[in-house]
Amino acid sequence: MSDPVPQDAVPQDDGPQDAVPQDAVLQDALPQDVGVGTVLDHVREPEEIPSAGIVSFRNVRKTYNVGEANAFTAIDEVNFVVEDIEGKGEFVSILGPSGCGKSTVLRLIAGLEPQHPPTVGEVRVMGRTVERPGADRGMVFQDYTSFDHRTVLDNVAFGLECRGVPREEREESARHWIGRVGLSVENDQLKYPHELSGGMRQRVAIARTLILRPRIILMDEPFGALDPTTRLNMQDLLVDLWREVEATVFFVTHSIGEAVYLGDRVYLMSNSPGTILEELEVEPPNRPALEMQREVPFQETVFYIRDKIATLEEER
Amino acid sequence: MTKEPESIPGGAVRAAPPALPRAQPSAPPPRRSPGRRLFALRGDIPTWLHVVLGLACIALIFLAWFLATVGEPEFRMVSPTVLPSPAETFSSFQELWFDRALTRNLIVTLRRVVLGFALACAVGIPLGILSGCFALAQGLLFPLTIFGRNIPLAALIPLTFTAFGIGEWQKVMFIFIACVMFIVSDTATAIRDVDQRYVDTAWTLGAKRRQIITKVLVPLAMPAVFNSLRLLFGLAFGYIMLAELVKLGGEVGGLGDIIRQSQRRGYIEHIWLVLLIIPFIALAIDRTLKAIQKSLFPYQYGGHGLLHRALRVVGHAWEDLKGVFFSREVATTQAGPGEEDA
Repeated sequence: MSDPVPQDAVPQDDGPQDAVPQDAVLQDALPQDVGVGTVLDHVREPEEIPSAGIVSFRNVRKTYNVGEANAFTAIDEVNFVVEDIEGKGEFVSILGPSGCGKSTVLRLIAGLEPQHPPTVGEVRVMGRTVERPGADRGMVFQDYTSFDHRTVLDNVAFGLECRGVPREEREESARHWIGRVGLSVENDQLKYPHELSGGMRQRVAIARTLILRPRIILMDEPFGALDPTTRLNMQDLLVDLWREVEATVFFVTHSIGEAVYLGDRVYLMSNSPGTILEELEVEPPNRPALEMQREVPFQETVFYIRDKIATLEEER
Repeated sequence: MTKEPESIPGGAVRAAPPALPRAQPSAPPPRRSPGRRLFALRGDIPTWLHVVLGLACIALIFLAWFLATVGEPEFRMVSPTVLPSPAETFSSFQELWFDRALTRNLIVTLRRVVLGFALACAVGIPLGILSGCFALAQGLLFPLTIFGRNIPLAALIPLTFTAFGIGEWQKVMFIFIACVMFIVSDTATAIRDVDQRYVDTAWTLGAKRRQIITKVLVPLAMPAVFNSLRLLFGLAFGYIMLAELVKLGGEVGGLGDIIRQSQRRGYIEHIWLVLLIIPFIALAIDRTLKAIQKSLFPYQYGGHGLLHRALRVVGHAWEDLKGVFFSREVATTQAGPGEEDA
């Protein structure tokens, strides 16, 4: 029933749509420099770039319990595209007021139910519609998801084990990654998750994802449960690792500082049903977290976004 | 000034409610009396006191038993045909042990429970896993679960004689029937209770459906499954007595049979002795199972987890051997998922 409405609306509004942004551009929608970032005049849509992009959303809406009394639309009219930058990949942070559907966007990319499939619209990864989850889109969750019955070594090697890699080979690779995420191979490889701290568990979760060398890494508030100091260390670790794996990262967080520090690009979402309000390009994190987050231009960007989100929170 | 009296649209002024007395810290008790500590809500008592209290309970029961059965048989408070005196009871232990072959009968009983229970596990756990993983299987098994869990089992004994004869098979099958549907539904619940985030994680790490079942759901559900199996085994041990108390000819044997025969022949002392022994055996079994449980799931109960580590080594050895024998198959499965991913 509600399907044709947006599709009809788009071509009809073509004329006026040109006019409205014109006005808006004069006001405040010109590409605007804010501290270390630049606010784009609009959120780029899939048609605007020549290639398919690594991830693209077209008019995506997700409604739960369609047709029932408790129907709830989490996101609506989500349009964006992230370019496939050869041999590098972008780091995309997603920010927004609470309950705006940030996790829904991530889980749609991952192809995880019940968010997948979208009610309306299309989610594409490398030009192909997402149909199911796969190892090409690794995900790190906020909750600790280490498998309790497996040692650190077996946890990290899980993906390779599923792929059928012989034990010697996958354990060697797992040891390499245990070391890369800052755990001690000697002391920690035979420990079980319940013997680890929160930060160490998230290191295991990151190693477990990166060992598969995915093209896309989805991180849903991975550091949300960690204390501030551990959090800063993990941010630095992530910057180091990300350069090495050359993947496109989608990073959902509540911490604006974290999003601006880590992100090459920041998406700012609206209140529920969420849509993408603004797209910012931000300086890459080329210095330690503690240092960069203390600088004035950095703070300026953070406060710009904080004000936006505070306004959104008030409007709810 | 303007703020002081809060005016209400109607014009009336709402008076501030009278201030209630401020909460004061309670005065510390002058000295902690021992009574306070012993009666602390949900508190602990020293181990020695725990043991002493337990012994006191036993002593009290023995005293009551002694007083109720003191004197010549004709003048006792309780007739010796119901309750013999402690001395009479314990002096008949030798007879029970040698003439009535207590150990052999105990082994007979245990064998029946273990066989029936093992059979119930062999059928129930796979069915439970299926039913926990797939709603289709659950729907199909649902009526069976309802029946299996709610039928009064004692009422099934006559039918088991008709169906399985009067021999060992009948007792084993009775235990099987008594336990199997409980095992199915407990296993299914345990599988369902595994947090979805583990399944989501496994999907994003490229696991296939079969691998999620064997590598994630089943191992993570096992602690809960084992725990419910341990409790059910205690239940099965109770049911076997029931099956052994009913005899339709033939040699029965077992602890229940000792009780039944003693009652018919008038060896009341033996009944009481067997009743005293059964809880010790049940306790010993339960403690053993608990130790195994702890050793199997160190991540749940702490400890060294020797059995768990042993299983891990066996698993690795099995995988390595498989690699030697079926090296080609491993190579082909390795190529598979790469195409699927894109």
